[in-house]
Amino acid sequence: MLQGTIIYGFINSVMLLLVALGFNLTFGISGVANFAFGALYITAGFLAWIGLNTLGLPYWLAGPAAVFITAVLAGLLYRFVVLRVRGLVVSEVIATFGVGLAILELFRFLGFIGFEYTLPEMLDLEVSLAGVIVDGQRLAILLVGAGLTLFLWWFTRHTRTGRAFRAIAQDEHTALTLGINTERVATVSVAFGAAYAAVAALVILPLGTIAVNEGYHVLVNALAVCIVGGLGSTLGVVVASFMIGFAQTFTATYLDTSWMMVVSLLAILVILLARPSGLFGSQKQLEERI
Amino acid sequence: MLEVKGLMVFYENALAVNDLSLKVQAGQVVGVIGSNSAGKTTLMNTLSGLILDQRIKELRKGGERITIMGKVIHEGQDISDMPAYERVRLGIVLCRERHPVFPDSTVLENLAIAGHLRSKVEVAQTTELCFDLFPNLTRWRRRKAGFLSGGEQQMLAIGMALVVRPRLLLLDEPLLGLSPAMQEKVVEAIRSVREKTGVTIVIAEQFARPILPMLDFGYVIENGMLTLTGSGRDLMENPEVKSAYFGL
Repeated sequence: MLQGTIIYGFINSVMLLLVALGFNLTFGISGVANFAFGALYITAGFLAWIGLNTLGLPYWLAGPAAVFITAVLAGLLYRFVVLRVRGLVVSEVIATFGVGLAILELFRFLGFIGFEYTLPEMLDLEVSLAGVIVDGQRLAILLVGAGLTLFLWWFTRHTRTGRAFRAIAQDEHTALTLGINTERVATVSVAFGAAYAAVAALVILPLGTIAVNEGYHVLVNALAVCIVGGLGSTLGVVVASFMIGFAQTFTATYLDTSWMMVVSLLAILVILLARPSGLFGSQKQLEERI
Repeated sequence: MLEVKGLMVFYENALAVNDLSLKVQAGQVVGVIGSNSAGKTTLMNTLSGLILDQRIKELRKGGERITIMGKVIHEGQDISDMPAYERVRLGIVLCRERHPVFPDSTVLENLAIAGHLRSKVEVAQTTELCFDLFPNLTRWRRRKAGFLSGGEQQMLAIGMALVVRPRLLLLDEPLLGLSPAMQEKVVEAIRSVREKTGVTIVIAEQFARPILPMLDFGYVIENGMLTLTGSGRDLMENPEVKSAYFGL
């Protein structure tokens, strides 16, 4: 039982990492806490479903199309809504949360509720890891999680746009004096973060149904990981994903699955009381940004 | 090369720059000398276009109202309303005060980031030129910029501006916060930059003594207004400058 808990705890941690990476990327670069993140995650799921089931597209087309459309939607959200209130933190939160709420409740209003809203699994196989059976979809989560983390590392160090991301995250004014169009790059970073959310949706949602409420859960989990790790810190996100991921899985195994969300909320509460800037964030940055 | 005509900048109702006009000829080193709050940084931010970004951000959050009047002309073109990142494409590059480097990135990464508008080959060439100009940085290639001394950070900041390949380099208080020994090294570095690249330089500085000898022309400003002009040597001999800046 312990081996199973550890392996599934690891997988759960990678799932948290997948959903938190995009949120953290957006915050670290644009300084905007995108509270529409959960809605974008669910939007990607429903877009892929519509592509597959309503339009009859093949998966290799429906999946990337869903990712692309979600990224464009997020970019437009930033450009036409968030940019107008950028710098006013409360307004940013209200604006993004409001848009997220509208998107999620629109899906509910349009009748996107039911067990038929599912996405196909990517890998149809089972493997045994240390005597524990793991299905193909969870293996896909591990592979995609590792791939996206490595890609983000490579992208921010070896591409022009990635280096511009890092420049803006550290000092926007200096970036501007070096010829970087900071608002355009910030828009790209929001779209990039949303694309990460969309890919996470495509690999995680096949484990269950695409449910509107999942959007709220994803937002709480992403917030918990980023607050515990330190907003804007990639290393912090990785460490916090594993801490919360294992804590959730052990709680689910030895208490009840209904307590998993309580773990995330409790983690936010404890870290805000003990170390408000998070494990790897600096207090100064937190004060400047929040 | 650059001309400022009747520039006035207000922060709400406070006048930071008052009817200022100046000219910069190609290849010159021009100084803007003034004490704290004289309006030097506001002037440099206006020349680089950074003030337009500040104005937009303040406007969005309902903060301080920034009003800019007058004209900034670059090679015959009115660039008063041109955003900062577009002015960089024209070759106008600002090195802000207090060593503007990216502290979590290494020296090499800082130089690579600075080459955003340049090809890999160009960045590699200018990076070598930077290490040639600032040998102190050579051994810290892979050290995070945040761990460099103030003087080294300033050299890196100038190096980053050079990677952009400026035609007009604006240096805002490059000696601020440095020890006299380090100030001397940075002045020497600026002199080398001029000799090796021939770039036009505008330096805004409150430490007049080390800067004046290298100036082709200088402007002294106080409370946002022009009070004296002349060559570096003329200004050094001026009794008002001697009294205000040399304590004589």
